Amino acid sequence: MPATVDSQTAILMNGVNKYFGGFHALKNINFTVGNGERIVLCGPSGSGKSTLVRCINQLESVQSGTIVVDGIDLTAGGKNIDAVRMEIGMVFQQFNLFPHMTVLENCMLAPLRVRGVSRDEARATARRVLGRVKIGDHAEKYPAQLSGGQQQRVAIARALCMNPKIMLFDEPTSALDPEMVKEVLDTMISLAAGGMTMVCVTHEMGFARAVADRVVFMADGEIVEEASPEQFFFAPTHKRTQAFLGQLLVN
Amino acid sequence: MITSLGPAQFHLLLVGTLWTLALSTVGFLFGGLGGLAVALCRTCGLMALERFAAAFIEIFRGTPLLLQLFIVYYGIGLLNISMSPWIAVSIAFTFHASAVLGEIWRGSIESIPRGQTEAAKALGIHYCFRMRYIILPQALKISLPPTIGFLVQLIKGTSLAAIIGFTELSRTGTLLSNITYRPLLIYAIVGLIYFIICWPLSRLGRAMERRLSPVISQ
Repeated sequence: MPATVDSQTAILMNGVNKYFGGFHALKNINFTVGNGERIVLCGPSGSGKSTLVRCINQLESVQSGTIVVDGIDLTAGGKNIDAVRMEIGMVFQQFNLFPHMTVLENCMLAPLRVRGVSRDEARATARRVLGRVKIGDHAEKYPAQLSGGQQQRVAIARALCMNPKIMLFDEPTSALDPEMVKEVLDTMISLAAGGMTMVCVTHEMGFARAVADRVVFMADGEIVEEASPEQFFFAPTHKRTQAFLGQLLVN
Repeated sequence: MITSLGPAQFHLLLVGTLWTLALSTVGFLFGGLGGLAVALCRTCGLMALERFAAAFIEIFRGTPLLLQLFIVYYGIGLLNISMSPWIAVSIAFTFHASAVLGEIWRGSIESIPRGQTEAAKALGIHYCFRMRYIILPQALKISLPPTIGFLVQLIKGTSLAAIIGFTELSRTGTLLSNITYRPLLIYAIVGLIYFIICWPLSRLGRAMERRLSPVISQ
């Protein structure tokens, strides 16, 4: 049943197929995220979960299907992609901060060049947001001078400075030392508490239980199961999900 | 008639040196602009432009500079356009430097991790701003040592322009040795002048390499 877009829909994917050469990475994906909804995407590696979030802001193009974000049809391409990217923040596994700029400059660049705000306004926003992710004291430092957890919080702040409607997280804690995972998750939890629409690829099941409205499980390029956290963790229906959760418990 | 080495001869060497510097400067400046265009084309993601830039680089890097000088000089002559050797060598050196610098800078642009381009795209930052504020500042910093290395090559390479009658430092040396009959002395002086120009640049390049290596490895 093809879903339709209404004002409550943040993201809609309909019959999306994605190939990397001969490899069928996303198979007929139908996926909807409502405004203010928090989704956790999980699944074994190679299941297509990163590819799925990267399609939402068109870092990956798709071969067929429609993707509508914030009411804008991305499959039409061109200007629509730029318009949507302004409204979607993204946080990567490897932080991807700009190493030749200070923390403050990292946060100011996009508002200055994309939104076209004044330098003073960009700076004020950056300082406020950096304070919110508790990294205000490091505003003048370069990324290499910060720990992994601090860098990832800067990356979150950089995305937030664009005042996005949707935040995408692609394994934001996977590259972190264990003791730094919490500070990043706490930042994400406070973001969720503020009502942000979020799609997170993560294996942090504690985070999923705490904030997710829905957990989406993928395997082999397909969405296998979608459920509330309680149902997902305590009463998974699909064999693949059960096997995956069993693996998580063993580790 | 044998002329001895006096102030007039040194004045000629000075003029020759200035022409060498002028040709190096023109080649490096215009070649720098051309090289930037070539490097951007080579990495732009549009197949046709990338192929064109690749072919340009391969042609000019795969043939001797001397041959390029001949082809530009005599080739333009065939078109019935009268052209001074100065213009001809300037054009040839510009093309040559565009190809070599284009290839050096392509390498540095591609050495910037893809994640930064993705982060910039995700923020909605367009190609021009992405290059201007994120990729090029880092890439050009990385490429400074090889760029200066090439500048030294280019300065020495200007001596080839003597062949088509452009009176720069080397040709001035040849002319002077013909009238003074003291080729060893003259060429020693000419060599010393090249060395005085090039050596500080080589040192600068090596110093930058040392200073930059920790940045690159981080």
